[in-house]
Amino acid sequence: MRFDEVVLAIMKAVDGQRTVSSPYHLIKGKKSGQTIQDIGYFGLHPYFAVFPKLDKQDYLSSIERLEARGLLIPDENTVQLHRSAIELEIPPTPLNGWKYRGNESRFFARISLVVQTMSNFMQGHKRFDPVVTDETVQAWAKAYLNRIDFRSAAVQEAFSNQVETSLAAAKISETHKEILVERLSGFGVGGHTWDQLAMEHGVLPIDAKIAAVETLHAWLDMLESMEYPLLSEMLEGIIQQSALTESAKRTQNLSERGFSLQQIAELRQLKSSTIEDHFVEMAMNDPAFSSAPFMDDQLFASIHQISKEMKTMRLRDIKERLPEASYFQIRLALAMRGAGK
Amino acid sequence: MNLEKLLYDSYGYTEFRPGQQQVIEQVLSGRDVLALLPTGMGKSLCYQLPGKVLPGAIVIVSPLLSLMQDQVAQLKKMGEKSVVAINSFMKPEDRERVWNTLGSYKFIFVSPEMLVQPYVLSKLKALGISLLVADEAHCISQWGFDFRPDYLRIAEILPLLGNPQTLALTATATDKVTDEIKRYLKLSDPFVYSHPMDRKNLSYDIRKFDNDSEKLDELLRLVSTYGGPGIIYAGTRRKSQELAERLLGIGIRAAFYHGGMEQQDRIFVQQQFANKELEWVCATNAFGMGVHIPDIRHVIHFQLPSSIEGYVQEVGRAGRDSLPSLATLLYAAGDERLVESLLMDDLPSPHEIELIYERGEEAKQLIEQGMIRETAYRIISYWRERLPLEGTLNQIEQLKKEKQHQAASVRGLIHSTGCIRQYISMSFDQENPEIPPNCCSFHGIDHSQFQSDRNAVKAAPQGSWKERLKVLLPI
Repeated sequence: MRFDEVVLAIMKAVDGQRTVSSPYHLIKGKKSGQTIQDIGYFGLHPYFAVFPKLDKQDYLSSIERLEARGLLIPDENTVQLHRSAIELEIPPTPLNGWKYRGNESRFFARISLVVQTMSNFMQGHKRFDPVVTDETVQAWAKAYLNRIDFRSAAVQEAFSNQVETSLAAAKISETHKEILVERLSGFGVGGHTWDQLAMEHGVLPIDAKIAAVETLHAWLDMLESMEYPLLSEMLEGIIQQSALTESAKRTQNLSERGFSLQQIAELRQLKSSTIEDHFVEMAMNDPAFSSAPFMDDQLFASIHQISKEMKTMRLRDIKERLPEASYFQIRLALAMRGAGK
Repeated sequence: MNLEKLLYDSYGYTEFRPGQQQVIEQVLSGRDVLALLPTGMGKSLCYQLPGKVLPGAIVIVSPLLSLMQDQVAQLKKMGEKSVVAINSFMKPEDRERVWNTLGSYKFIFVSPEMLVQPYVLSKLKALGISLLVADEAHCISQWGFDFRPDYLRIAEILPLLGNPQTLALTATATDKVTDEIKRYLKLSDPFVYSHPMDRKNLSYDIRKFDNDSEKLDELLRLVSTYGGPGIIYAGTRRKSQELAERLLGIGIRAAFYHGGMEQQDRIFVQQQFANKELEWVCATNAFGMGVHIPDIRHVIHFQLPSSIEGYVQEVGRAGRDSLPSLATLLYAAGDERLVESLLMDDLPSPHEIELIYERGEEAKQLIEQGMIRETAYRIISYWRERLPLEGTLNQIEQLKKEKQHQAASVRGLIHSTGCIRQYISMSFDQENPEIPPNCCSFHGIDHSQFQSDRNAVKAAPQGSWKERLKVLLPI
C-alpha cells in the first residue's frame, strides 16, 4: 500500500469528524488521549505508529497530492473527502501498528546487525564497520550471537534457512520482500537507501518505507508462531504484552487497588485530564471495563442514543444535545462502544 | 621505551606514519603538544598509544558529534573496549551507568557543551586525567572556518581540571589560528609538529567555463572517462541530488549523500562506496567523516568550496594510499556569488544579535519560529555572557571581514595565474613546496594516468530477494 493510501484509509474513517492533521498524529503514534481513543472509535488499529519518524513535510506533500487528485477537498477544519475517495478501495494490508508500536524497527536493526555479522564471519572477515550504530542494539546483537553460537556452520545454516523460509511464508507480495531484503547489508554488499529503492521500484521514497513496515509486520506475524526458534528469540521486548501505554498501565494498577481518579492524579502528580485519558484508553481496550464509577446507566445509554441518531462521534455535537454530560463521560461512553465493535 | 614494539603489540602495525612517532614521544615526555596532521594521517593514534602507557584517563574533547561517534567506532574496531562517549545525545538510562563506572574507562570522549557542566566537570576532576586531547582544535579559533563558541569554554575549565597535560590536534590551521590555539589552551612551551600540508600524489586541476551547462557537460565527460572511486562535492543538498540523478541517467553508478538523509541511509551510501558498488558519490561537505577509503582517485568540486581550509580537507580525501590522484575544480563564471552568499548567510545578522540580547534564554524559542537561526543563537549567546551588545556587534563585524577574506582566498584560487600548489601552501603560511610531476593545471598534468578500468566496479547483486539473501549469507 502506498503512503497516500495509508492517509486515505484513515481519512475515510474520520471523514468530517477530525482535523486534517489527525492522521498525521496517528501515523506518528502520538500517545495523546485523543489519538488513542480515535483508534478505538474508528477502528484504526493497523495504522497507529506505523511511521514514528514521519516528517511533517512528507505528510503535507501527501495531502497536496490527495488534493491534486481531487480526492480531498481543501478545508481548514475537518477532513472532507470527495465522493470518489469514499468509493475508492483501500488494498488489504498486514499493517498492525497497534500491536507493534514502531518496535518493528528495533527488530530490523537487530536482524540487520546479526545478518551483517554472520555474512562477514562466514566469509572470513572479523572486522567491519557495523551497519547499526545504536549501542543498545549492538550490545543486544553481541549477546544474542554468542548465545546462539553463531560461529558454528550448523547454526549459520539454520539461521539462513529460517530467515528464508519464514520470510517466504509471510503473507505479502514478493516486491515487498525485495524492498525489505534490499535494506540488509553484508560482506561486500551495502543496503539500499530509500531513494535508491524508490527509483528501482518506481515509487516514492515514502512508499518504500511503508512497504518495509508492511513486510516487517507480515514477517513478525510469522515469527510469533515459534517455528523459527533462532528468529523468535529476536522478538524479545518487541511485542507489547499489554495494549495499554506504559503510563495508562500504571493508572490501571492504581485503579485496581481502589484509588479514585482524583487520588491517582494526586499520587502520580499528573493532571486529572491525563488520568482521564488513561481511563478512556482502558475503556477502549478492556471488554470488562465498567462505566459505573463515572456515570449512571441512563446517561451512558443517552450518549449512545444521540451519537447514533446524529451519526457522529464529535464530542461537541453530543455535548450540545446533552449538556449534563461531561466531555470525559462522553469520551468514555464512546470508547466503550468502540471496544465492543 | 620501544615505541615500535608497543605499536606492534597493541595494534599489530609495524611502522608509524609520518609525524606520529615524534608526537607520541613528546606526549610521553610530558610536554604539551600541538600537532598539525592532515586528516587520514592517523591522528587518533597520537593519543591511543600514550593511553597504553599513561596511568590515568585520556579525555578527548571532540566538538563535532558525528566525528566523535566515528572515532569511538574506529577505536572499538581496533579492539579498544575501554571507550565511552559523553554527549547530549546519551540516553538517560545510559547516563547513570556511565557516571557510576566512569573510572573504569581509559578513553573518554566528551563534547565541549558537556565538559563545561559542573557535574561532568566534578566527575572528571575526581578521575585523575593523564592527558587532555583537544581534537579539531582549530574550532577554538574564531578566525577558523569552523568556529564553535562552546569550544572556547575549554580555556575556562582547564584550571578547574588542574591544568592537565594537553595535546591539541588539528588538520588545518594557519599561523593565526595556531597562535590562538596555543593561547586559548594555555599550551606552555608546546612542541609543535606541523606536517607539510602538501600532498605530492595529488594533482590540482582547475577548469573554467562560461556557463553552467558547459560545466555540467564537462562533469559528465569526466565521469564517463574516468572510473571512480570518486567524490563530487556540490554546494547544496539539492545540487548533490541533481548531480547523482544526472550520473545515473548516463548509466554511471552514483548516489547522493548529504546531512538531510537519515543516518541509516548515510551509512548505506558509505558502505556501497567502500564496497565499490558505487563509482561516485555526489555529496555536500557532510561527506567525508567516517569515510575510510584509501583508494579514492578523484575529488571533483562541482561548486566552489567555501574556504581554502575546507578545500584542502575535501581534496585530502583522495589518494590516502599515496597513489596519483586528481583533484578537479570545475568553475563557471559567477560561481563565487553562491559561495559569498552562503558564507555571509552563515553570519548572525544585526537583527538576530539584538533579538538574542533582548530575550536572552527565551530567544531559543525564536529558533523554532524561524526568527533566528540555531548557529546564530549558539554564537551570540556565548558572546552575550561576555560582552555588551556593541562589543558583539563589533566581533561579528570582524568575523564578517574574516569571511570576506576567506571568500577572497577562494576567488584567488580560481583566478590566480600561477601554480595552484604554491597558492595553497601560501594560504597556510607554509614554505614553497617542491613541484612534483603532474603538479597542477598550471604546470601541466598528464591525465591519462588517472584513467581506470570501469569494469573493476562491482555490480550490485540483482534478482529476487532469495538470491540477495544467498549473497548475504552464503552457506
